[in-house]
Formats: sequence, structure tokens, C-alpha cells
Amino acid sequence: MATAHHDEHPAGLMRWLTSTNHKDIGTLYLVFALIMLFVGGAMALVIRAELFQPGLQIVQPHFFNQMTTMHALVMIFGAVMPAFTGFANWQIPLMIGAPDMALPRLNNWSFWLLPFAFTLLLSTLFIPSGGPAGGWTLYPPLSAQGGMGTDFTILAIHMMGISSVLGAINVIATILNMRAPGMTLLKMPLFVWTWLITAFLLLAAMPVLAGAVTMLLTDRHFGTHFFDAAGGGDPVMFQHVFWFFGHPEVYILILPAFGITSQIIPTFARKPLFGYESMVYATASIAFLSFIVWAHHMFTVGMPLAGEMFFMYSTMMIAVPTGVKVFNWVATMWKGSMTFETPMLFSIAFVMLFTIGGFSGLMLAIAPADFQYQDTYFVVAHFHYVLVSGAVFSIIAGAYYWLPKWTGHMYNETLGKWHFWLSVIGFNLAFFPQHFLGLAGMPRRIPDYALQFTEFNQWSTVGAFLFGFSQLLFVAVVVQAVRGGKKADAKVWEGAEGLEWTVPSPAPYHTFATPPRIK
Amino acid sequence: MPMNHLPEAQRRAIVRTAATLAAIAFALFVYTLWRGIK
Repeated sequence: MATAHHDEHPAGLMRWLTSTNHKDIGTLYLVFALIMLFVGGAMALVIRAELFQPGLQIVQPHFFNQMTTMHALVMIFGAVMPAFTGFANWQIPLMIGAPDMALPRLNNWSFWLLPFAFTLLLSTLFIPSGGPAGGWTLYPPLSAQGGMGTDFTILAIHMMGISSVLGAINVIATILNMRAPGMTLLKMPLFVWTWLITAFLLLAAMPVLAGAVTMLLTDRHFGTHFFDAAGGGDPVMFQHVFWFFGHPEVYILILPAFGITSQIIPTFARKPLFGYESMVYATASIAFLSFIVWAHHMFTVGMPLAGEMFFMYSTMMIAVPTGVKVFNWVATMWKGSMTFETPMLFSIAFVMLFTIGGFSGLMLAIAPADFQYQDTYFVVAHFHYVLVSGAVFSIIAGAYYWLPKWTGHMYNETLGKWHFWLSVIGFNLAFFPQHFLGLAGMPRRIPDYALQFTEFNQWSTVGAFLFGFSQLLFVAVVVQAVRGGKKADAKVWEGAEGLEWTVPSPAPYHTFATPPRIK
Repeated sequence: MPMNHLPEAQRRAIVRTAATLAAIAFALFVYTLWRGIK
């Protein structure tokens, strides 16, 4: 197999600061995401600890609001997006037979913007006015009135946005220009396809967020009135612009998860993916629809009936391509010779639990019903089902799946299974009761609540702590695999297909210096 | 290492793709601001 002979590279800190190697940068992204997962997770546990019982126990309301805001920003921009970019860096060149990403130096910069952005963002917790507290959506007038923390946040969002756009450009340039001879677009692994489409979403959505926060910044400091009703502006316009970014962002967070799942399920079902082409078209359809559904996040602001109808039906249409995907994953497993290693367990949980999140999404899409659900814990339950048991579970599944390829060692399967079961039980305990809380009328983003919500909140807090602490097992598994263990073969999994399994484990520092030829 | 070994045509194609995409992203940013001002 085409593997370069020289794998010399700087050692120590300089290796990581100056590396242009896709595997090094992939590792940096993944480690950064893991750290942010624990930072954001700690914030979640502060929230859940406060909500264990009614009344104010642990934190003041203003700090509670900072926690809800920062938890979301850290998890979305610091944990999930960088984790997927880490997978993209490691896997896309290996899967398409390319020697590296198309723009390696840009790749280094894309990553190194992130630690600075998040230092800036997290530093707001230590300034006198505190961090942003108006919710991650940064709606004015609250965000227009916030302290200096909001300005820091806007600058941090600009840096994350530049990082994401540069990363997206790199992914598209790599996939369109660096595929091995013979690898036509419809021969690409599904993970590569989902990332190609995600990269276009990033490219189209992030500049819109940059525009929105720039207008917010000029409203705050340069005398403009984009969102200031007193000056002739319109705060609802911010919501429209924000969600024009925000809804595609939801799919930026889930399409790569679809890709990872579509790699893992065929491997452990020992069957080719059912309906490969329909998976590609379904992904593209979801991406297109994501740009015409944004106002379903704001049914209650007041809009013409025709608008409500349009956004309701367009949102419901997303269920069609998503249903195609779920059907295809199940059909892939149908009569397969299945085994249940940890990556497969997380992937099956992904399919089942993400579908629950999809169904609650359909409920929220019904405009008249949404008037009851808006800003309740039902919404919190919904988006955690799609983002935790969806995005995060797939990230964990992918990490277990490719860990032997990255480290050269098999991970500890027993610990992996413990991690899985504790995560699944903890997650459902944390978030399923929140559906009931929301339907009963408990609002989101509040540090105190009426007495009748106590019991479900207590279950939820116990589940959240169980889920949170069980992630330490994941760290233990990863550290063990990095340090040693049973040697992994080139083709780690019996049923695995694809170019990445043709190179040795661990994957050499340089791979495919001579491109493979695909038949 | 790898970029230097790519054929010239492929390198040009990469730069062309990246430049086009960067221009689209910047145009979208400017368009968002312009719609805000309008």
C-alpha cells in the first residue's frame, strides 16, 4: 500500500503548534473538543444541581443565566463542531486516498483560532459584568444591554466563524480536488459525502451569523439601530437573521453524525449500506430544506398565517429524507450478521434516540401546538435528544470505531460497554422527564420553579450527574488505548470496508503519498 | 510535504476552489449587512 517512508516531524510542543499534518490537526481538534465537552458539561451540572429542588440553592440567577448561555455556546461551537472537524481531518484524506488536506497551512490556522476564541469567551466569566447571560441566541434587546462580556462573546464568535469557514473551504477543496483516481463522487464513503454537504452549509450559514453579531456590535457601540425599536429598528429582524444561520447550524451538527453512523452500521451488520444513493440525496435534501424552515423557531413572535403555514409544512417535509435515512439504517441491519461492539451499541442507540428527538421535533413543527411548547422544557428535551443522543453519541461511536486505527491499539471493550450502558441510562433519565416538565408548563432558562415540577427535576438531575460522570470512563478508555494494549490490525473490524482500513494501524504519519487506484 | 508534490494543475484547481468559496462567504457576510441597512 502507498505509504510514505519518511515520517519525520518536529517533536514536543512545536509539533503541535506548527503541524500541517491532517492527523496531528485532527488529534488537536478531538482533544480540544473533549476538553470543551467537560467544560460545557461542568456548566450543565451547575444548572442541574441548582434545579435539583425549587428555590435558589447554589448560584444566583444572573450566574445561572450565564451558565445556560455558556453551556450552549461551549457545547455547540467548542465541543460538537470541533469534534466533527477532528473526524474530518483524520478520516477524509484517509477515506478518499489523499496525502493530506488540500490546504494544510490554512488547516493549522483554522484549529489554532479556536483556543484563543474560547479563552476569550470563557474569560468573560471572570470580568465584573460576567459572561453573556441572554441565551446562546443572543437576542436583543437583552444582548444589546448586556455588559462587556457580550462584546467578548461577539469577537469570540467571529473567530469561531472564521475558523469554521476556513475549515469548510478546506474540506470542500480537499474532496473536490484530492480524491484518488477512480474515486468518483458516488463512490465516496458516506461520511465524506455528509461532510461535503456540511461544509457547504457552514459556508452559507456562518457568514450570516457573522453579519448578525456585527450588527449587534454596531448597535451596542456605534450608534446604529438595526435591532433597536426606539431608533426605528426591529429586534425581530435579529431573530430572522439569527435563525437563518441557526437552523442550518442544527444540520451542521447532525449531518456528520449521519455519516459516522452510516460507516459503522454496515461494518457491524456485515452488509453494505442499504440505499447508498438515496442516503446521499436525502442528505442533500435535508441541507436544502434547512434553509427554508428558520422561522419555526419563532412561531410565537407573530407572523402572517401564510408564513406560519409555510414554515410548518416545510419543517414537516424534513421528516421525509430523515425517514429515508432511518429506514436505510434499519434495512442495513435487517438480516445482517450483527455483532454489538461498543461503536455499534452507540450507533443503534443513536438511531433509536435520535428518532425520538425527530418525533418531538415534528410535534414542535405544528404551529398551533408550538404556542404551548415554545420556551418550555419540552424544547430542551427535544434538542438534547437530537444533539446528545444524536450528535454526541455518534461522536463517541466514531471515536471507538476509529480509535484502534488512530492509536494502533484496541480499546478496552468491557469498559466501553460500561460506558455505553451508563451513558444511555443516565441520558434518558436526564432528558426524558423534561418532556413531561415542558408539557406541564415548566419554562426553560429559569433557576427556580413551581413546586409541582420537583420530582421530574430530581430524576433529571440524578440522570445528568450519572451521564456526566460516566464520560470519565470514556477518557479512561481513550488514555488506555493511547498508552498501549492489544495491537490492532490494519483492518480492525472484520466487516469494515474502505481505504482507511488498507493502511497499517496506527496510520503512518504520511499516507497515500502515491494515490491508490480505485476500481 | 504533500502540497509540494501535487501536480501544478491540481494545485491551481485547489487555489481556484478555495478562492471562489472564500469570495462566496465574504459576499454572504456583506449581503447580510446590506440587507440589515436596507
